[in-house]
Amino acid sequence: MSRGVVVTGLGTVGSFGGGREALAAALLAARPRLSAVDRSAGYHRPGGAGRAALLDGYDLSRWVPPREGRRMSPPSKLALAAARMALSDAGIIGIAGIDGRAGDTGELSWAAVVMSTVFGPASYTEGLLKQILDSPESASPFLFTESVANAPAAQIGIAMGARGAGITIAQREAGLLLAVARGAAEFGAGRAPLALTGTVEEMTPLLHSVLDRFGALAHPEEVARPFDRRRSGFLAGEGAVVLVLEDEEAAREGRRRPLARLLAWGRAFDPSAPAAGWGEGQAALGRGLLRCLARAGLEPGDIDLVVSGASGSRTGDRLEALTLRAAWGGRPLPPILVPKAVTGEYGGGFLAAAVLAAGGAPFGPTPGFAEADPELGVVPHAGGPLPAPSRVLVSTVAAGGAAAWLVFGGEEPEP
Amino acid sequence: MAVTGLGVVSGLGWGVAPFLAALRAGRTGLGPFGRFDHSGHRTHVAAQVPDPPPELASRYRRWNRLTQADRFALAAADEALARAGLSGFPDPDQVGVFFGSSTGGMYEGELFFADLLARGGRAGGASPRARLGLLTSQPVSGPGDELARHLGVTGPVETLSSACSSATLALGAALDALRSGEVEIALAGGSDSLCQLTYAGFNALRAVSELPCRPFREGREGMSIGEGAAVLVLEPLERALARGAVPLAELAGAGASCDAHHMTAPDPSGRGAAAAVVAALADAGMEPGEIDFINAHGTGTPLNDAAEWRAFEQVFGERLKDMPLTATKAIVGHLLGSAGAVEAAATILCLAGAEVHPTPGGGAVDPDLPVRLVQGAPLPFAARAAVSTNLAFGGSNAAVVFSVFSATGRGS
Repeated sequence: MSRGVVVTGLGTVGSFGGGREALAAALLAARPRLSAVDRSAGYHRPGGAGRAALLDGYDLSRWVPPREGRRMSPPSKLALAAARMALSDAGIIGIAGIDGRAGDTGELSWAAVVMSTVFGPASYTEGLLKQILDSPESASPFLFTESVANAPAAQIGIAMGARGAGITIAQREAGLLLAVARGAAEFGAGRAPLALTGTVEEMTPLLHSVLDRFGALAHPEEVARPFDRRRSGFLAGEGAVVLVLEDEEAAREGRRRPLARLLAWGRAFDPSAPAAGWGEGQAALGRGLLRCLARAGLEPGDIDLVVSGASGSRTGDRLEALTLRAAWGGRPLPPILVPKAVTGEYGGGFLAAAVLAAGGAPFGPTPGFAEADPELGVVPHAGGPLPAPSRVLVSTVAAGGAAAWLVFGGEEPEP
Repeated sequence: MAVTGLGVVSGLGWGVAPFLAALRAGRTGLGPFGRFDHSGHRTHVAAQVPDPPPELASRYRRWNRLTQADRFALAAADEALARAGLSGFPDPDQVGVFFGSSTGGMYEGELFFADLLARGGRAGGASPRARLGLLTSQPVSGPGDELARHLGVTGPVETLSSACSSATLALGAALDALRSGEVEIALAGGSDSLCQLTYAGFNALRAVSELPCRPFREGREGMSIGEGAAVLVLEPLERALARGAVPLAELAGAGASCDAHHMTAPDPSGRGAAAAVVAALADAGMEPGEIDFINAHGTGTPLNDAAEWRAFEQVFGERLKDMPLTATKAIVGHLLGSAGAVEAAATILCLAGAEVHPTPGGGAVDPDLPVRLVQGAPLPFAARAAVSTNLAFGGSNAAVVFSVFSATGRGS
């Protein structure tokens, strides 16, 4: 990247609550907050998974007033709340500014908005399909409008008056890191002065039941065990994360303190992956990871912390571990944090945790991990203090074949 | 960047040939369709891809398990690679797939969901796996992923899903990856299939015409929906020429913007759409005066065409009324997430063939939107460069600039 890219704001909403302090507390406590999934629709199989990391009534009205939110799907509300939280965190807007279109007059006017989603606005899509299957003429235009995958990004753009590119990436579990990369590219190429970038997901009973039927969710005790020998699946989650990305110079001029510096990004694909799972393409992905590091003049030995997207999936964690090992080539791996054991899969808690890690936030042990899988050769963080990292690799391999990486650095020391 | 390959699947058929023939004849593929029972819908017109040639099913290993959108993507990509003269990749790490889709395998997802509801919420009864098979490629990233899997791509794969600008944004993403040196070859495009969700949804918005759409015409009543895919093979011009490829055109620039105005209605001022065109021109290092014709988003809705005209007026000024303008949607319908790819294909074919395809639909041009709409027959026109635009839900605008390939330099 030709220009220094820094994260100056972080907004996050998830089962842990809202804001980076709430997430940091949950990660330190190493306790996922689980809620019962509504099974009343009859979608779930008997004896199937019944819990997920859900928002469970978290009040968004501070960030999205009800009169504004009534025109939005749950993901749009979540994304807008996270965006305003991030901008407030960066000091670009005040809490009182949420009613105004900051972009109409301020530095957001040509900001890019790049969001990702895996499933899109699932509850509105389901509701709309029910209407259509009942009677096509009963289809609600409002549900349709808010059922599109880019509705959350669009609502952020509309609410903030941001007129830069409005982009939504849908690349399964890799999408959130790809969104950060694209956001950085937008202003790195001079196309936007600032980017709001992140991810959003809602976990509906239908989605949860389908994931369970695919065998993706943890069973039977419903604890995700990333990298553990007995791992059986992941913990489904929901939420939103938005990062404020900007040019390092602009941040300095605006007196905004960087939470992290984006040093590198990269991506690759594993064509051996089935459409709904993970393959065995660790060699190709390992090369992709090395290319990512090399473009920033880095090599694996320069990485002193990994924030892994491992979730407890049997084949996903295997590919993640073997990809890291392929890239490290026999050298010892640095400490590995696995935030999805706390935040669940989907909703971006993983990405927010990576930003916190780059800033030196303390992490607790990895919940659910008890016994190393000898095939994987990876042991996640067991708790306790870690040295302040200088370069943090954020890694994810997605179902279907995509993989993406970011490298965050901590705050650059003053010259 | 050189466009060395092109493949199209559309309501006109499987391949570039039927697409080009219809473009030149100004023949619409819009009409009755049977993908799903639309007797309860308000309108009954679409451009459905006809049944595939029998040999296609045997060419692909998992054909019967692929979604419609996957099938369109694979067939378009293989045609594009054949045109490019590429039968394999020396380094798959240096190949990327950049794809747009708005619904992915939604059509198959609807079949699953209808079955689920019919069974009182119990997915699949005794054989859940068989029913769940409908969902394995349902995610929006399905077509792009399937394409990468089919070709053994190990470089970047990225699916953009910004509604109707998805594929145009994908072309921009491919351009970035090529310029940065991340890839040497990019397959860029999009794929979407007809499904009840979008058909009913646009009807609910009263945005669909009961007759084939008539972009930029007086009394136009709305859009028409289509399905299909287009894939472009992109590579640096020097690389293409060095291996003896003959480029069809050059992808010169891409730009994007957001209206920040409304979820469904375009900004009537056209300011946002104009910003995307200006950004694409700047990215191409070109002035408005270097653009010779426009392939407009041109949905045929009263609001879209008016806002788009105002955008073009801001960018091109007095020249606009003399610039040939066409709208491919009148021939293939609105392909939503893949619209930008198929319209890019039409633009490239126009540049390469030195003629601008007509826009069928009949009736006079809207006097409030004075444009030189190409009608009736192809307009012989040796253009240097053209812009293709797409404006999406949520005000997501995107534009790409293509220039004619000339062995002696751009658009000379």
